[in-house]
Amino acid sequence: MKLSELVEKAEVKAINDYKDKDFEGVYISDMVSDIITGAKANNLLVTLQTHKSLIASANLVDVAAIVFVKGKMPAQDVIDLSNKAGIALFVSPVDTWSMALKLFNMGVK
Amino acid sequence: MSECNHKWEMVDIRHGYLVIEGCPKCGGRSAFFSTEAIAPIDEYQEGDHRWIYLGSYQATKFNFRCIECGKLVELGDMMGLMMSTCDDPECKVVKIGRQAGRNTWVYVALCADSTHASGKCVSDEGIRALNEYFNQNISVPGKRILVVPCSLCCSIDRCDGIVIADTGLTEIY
Repeated sequence: MKLSELVEKAEVKAINDYKDKDFEGVYISDMVSDIITGAKANNLLVTLQTHKSLIASANLVDVAAIVFVKGKMPAQDVIDLSNKAGIALFVSPVDTWSMALKLFNMGVK
Repeated sequence: MSECNHKWEMVDIRHGYLVIEGCPKCGGRSAFFSTEAIAPIDEYQEGDHRWIYLGSYQATKFNFRCIECGKLVELGDMMGLMMSTCDDPECKVVKIGRQAGRNTWVYVALCADSTHASGKCVSDEGIRALNEYFNQNISVPGKRILVVPCSLCCSIDRCDGIVIADTGLTEIY
C-alpha cells in the first residue's frame, strides 16, 4: 500500500514532506530496543513514542514511515532527523488499537 | 574460510535490563545484561575498580544465525547501539563516516567496558554480521548502515550520539 493511500484512508496527517512509496506490513511498539529486533525494513511503525531515539532505531531497520497516535507531536529536531533519514511522519488523533483496526480494515497485513 | 554469502536472521532474542556501573576512581563505565525480573543493584570491588550502580534500562539482546549455512554469531559482548552524531574532527568514527559518504549512517556498537582496559571490544565477527544484517534488506537506494566498534570513539563519555535505549524517553533531551 502506498503512503498516499494511508493518508487518504486512515485519515492521518503528514508532518513532513515525504516521497510517496509502498510500505509493507506494520509494527506497533513504544520501545526502541524492541523496534530494532521486531520491525522490518519498509514497515509502517505505529507508536506513541516521540523521542529522537525512536528515529535512530527506525532508521537502523529502514522503517518506511511512522504514525504517531493520540495526536502526539514530535519536536522539531526529531522531524529534522526524520527528514534527513527520509522517514515519513504522520499523526493521528486515534489510539493505537483504533489505528490497528483502521489498518486491518484497509487490508494492511 | 566460509564461502557462504550469509543471510542473517536475529535469534536468541532476550529481554531484560542493561545495568550501568561506574568506578569513581578511574571514571570507567561498565555494563552487564540481566534477565532478572528486577535489575540488580550492587556495589562491589573488582581488582582496582569499585563498581557503583549508576542506573539501568530495559534492553534487548540478540545473536545472528545464517539461514543458509547455520553459522551462529554471538553478540554477548555488545551492550547497545548508538547512532553517531559526533562532529569531533579527531574522532575516528567521524573520519570513517565522512569517508563513507553522505548516505551512510554510522552506528557505534557499545561494548561492556568503556575503558577498553582489557583491549577487548565488540568482536570483528560481530561487527561484520551487524553490518551485513542491517544492510541486507534496505529498500532506500544508496542508503547504507555502517556499524563500528566503540573502541574507535574519541571517548565513549564525550562522543556525541543517540543511544538506542529505553531510558529517559519521556524526558526533554
